[in-house]
Amino acid sequence: MGFPVSLRVDDEDVPERAADAVFAWLREVDARFSPFREDSEVCRLGRGEPLEISADLREVLGLCEEYRAATGGAFDARLPGRGLDPCAVVKGWSVQRAAGLLAAAGARRFCLNAGGDVVAAGGPWRVGVRHPEDAGRLCAVLAVTDAAVATSARYERGDHILDGRTGRPATGLLSLTVVAPTLTEADAAATAAFALGREGVAWAAARPDCEVFAVDADRKVLRSPGLPVA
Amino acid sequence: MKRALPVLVLSVAGLIPVWRYAPPAPGTGTTAQAAPAPAPTASSAPDGTTRHTVTGPTVTTEKGPVQVQVTFDGDRITAVTLLRQPDHPQTTAAVPRLVEETLRAQSADVDTVSGATVTSEGYKESLQAALDANGA
Repeated sequence: MGFPVSLRVDDEDVPERAADAVFAWLREVDARFSPFREDSEVCRLGRGEPLEISADLREVLGLCEEYRAATGGAFDARLPGRGLDPCAVVKGWSVQRAAGLLAAAGARRFCLNAGGDVVAAGGPWRVGVRHPEDAGRLCAVLAVTDAAVATSARYERGDHILDGRTGRPATGLLSLTVVAPTLTEADAAATAAFALGREGVAWAAARPDCEVFAVDADRKVLRSPGLPVA
Repeated sequence: MKRALPVLVLSVAGLIPVWRYAPPAPGTGTTAQAAPAPAPTASSAPDGTTRHTVTGPTVTTEKGPVQVQVTFDGDRITAVTLLRQPDHPQTTAAVPRLVEETLRAQSADVDTVSGATVTSEGYKESLQAALDANGA
């Protein structure tokens, strides 16, 4: 998937192989679900090859459909003219699964950051939100305990999230961050809300147990009332 | 300060409809006017609490003059009315701005960064890379 993953575990009695298992799982996910690997399950399904759909792939496809329906099609893993691309769901889902591996190994206080998406166990952890226009600065700091934080943004790479309703890049927001009980929800909700544009802020804030921080295209800052600002 | 922010946001959100739908009073816009001193007017509500309004001074902003009238029921604000507003439509952006939020966030220590980077080249330049190097 090509993003850096960092892990900090504060419990002393957690064996190092628990961390190895996390990275092994994430490599497995990359091999199986990357839309950029010709032999991945996702590419084979996208090409219409006969394929026994694994339980994991079924779960991912179910999540894609759930968020597509919840956004009226703004979030869509099957855009016309493009191959199947469930990345927005796979990332949060797989990193949350990795956090589950750590918890099963006895870790209680850890912080797992995968390309800017964060699972914080125990806490409070102080989670900065990257400034949408400057990778070296923050625009907010959150205090997060036993929750996940994900941010979707138009960074230097430009428009990479499309509004499935129009097929055009979503441009209403510069950055949108969701705090939720799991990274599965935080990441998918952040991407889906970003695809919705300005209306995505209220959409994500209305989801159960979701809090939102957003910067719109006019550089206006919007926050849900329960956002855990540090 | 933390507790005050949601209230501020709500107040501002409450202002916007008022802002949009207030009938244009004579002399609104950029016409200069002497700033009156705050002039509270009190009346007794049926339940015995005191209802009164306070008219603020006209404040000159870069977008034009602004004057606000606040109605209190005891200590509670029950209404905010914009008596004078600039003509410039962008004035509705009087909510927290990215610049202010950024200034507030810079002084804080953090454990990790959300929304850091997509590429490994970007990672080298990022705050998360500095945090990882420091914690290693």
